[in-house]
Amino acid sequence: MLKAMRAIGVCCVLALTMSNLGVTAMAAPATERYLHVKVDDATKGESVNVNLPLSMAAAILPTVNKGTLHNGHVTIGEADFNGVDVRALLDAIRTAPDNEFVTVKQKDQDVRVAKSNGNLIVHVLDKSKDGQKVDVTIPMKVVDALFSTVKDNELDVAAAIRALSDAGDAVLVTVQDATEHVRIWIDSRSASD
Amino acid sequence: MILLGKVALGIAGTALAGVGLVCSEGMIEVNVVEKQPEAHHVYVLAPAMLVPIGTHFIPKHKLGQAAAEIQPWLPTIRAALEQLRAGEDITLVDVREPGQHVRVTKDGGSVVADVTDEDETVHVSTPIRAIESTIEQVAAASPDTHD
Repeated sequence: MLKAMRAIGVCCVLALTMSNLGVTAMAAPATERYLHVKVDDATKGESVNVNLPLSMAAAILPTVNKGTLHNGHVTIGEADFNGVDVRALLDAIRTAPDNEFVTVKQKDQDVRVAKSNGNLIVHVLDKSKDGQKVDVTIPMKVVDALFSTVKDNELDVAAAIRALSDAGDAVLVTVQDATEHVRIWIDSRSASD
Repeated sequence: MILLGKVALGIAGTALAGVGLVCSEGMIEVNVVEKQPEAHHVYVLAPAMLVPIGTHFIPKHKLGQAAAEIQPWLPTIRAALEQLRAGEDITLVDVREPGQHVRVTKDGGSVVADVTDEDETVHVSTPIRAIESTIEQVAAASPDTHD
């Protein structure tokens, strides 16, 4: 009787161990990617750091149904596109070789839109606002995913997040002026420093 | 004598199982330290399971508004907490300004908030499972919920 109880006990321990190993092996995630936002204000001595796993953003977005955001899609009114066929525009950019598409130089502002190494690059220098400089670098795959919806007036933000997860480490946005520095980037490190 | 021993073992076993059950969702830790000359120190370590249990006893009509506000966001909250629980430890938010530091982290199975300012330091650690249970309890109080 005692031997039988021992045998059952050993079997239970083994079964629990195996099931735990199985769960651990199944739960082993692929390399997690993180979206980081860092805002520094040197004059005020303030800093804000936000770190968000992209898998969390991808899981949350489809569940939000509020305002213009539904099932990971953002609805955009015709007015927001100002009559421009954005899909056709992006298709033209996608198929074009690396090039500088728009260069505007004004008294107060310089704007540059270019395609380089598979990235869409937007550079804005606002000379009137303490020399505020904005750099946006978006992988073309992410732009494609954003416009991958069937409907013309929608952006697929969830698909863009998924595309970001597959993209390499990248600085997406930097904003620099006399006092503030904003940086948004993705990498595989959970900490921003 | 043997019978007495068996009874004692039964009581001890039941007590241990009870403690284990109550602590199964982890512990909520609250630590507040004031920096004033007459500093007060509040430290609470309580089983997290008490929160959803306590919520269960709040009259449903008093939770109505909170439940109605939570209900539309329930899928989002569930998804967020599930991902948070499955993910590795991370500092989610860190805000520093002169004299103040706020940090929200995921540490083990808990969400931890640390606030330090010129007057006091506050540390609150809440198990994610307890947050889930409590939110589910509050949402269940919604008049729209049909069990």
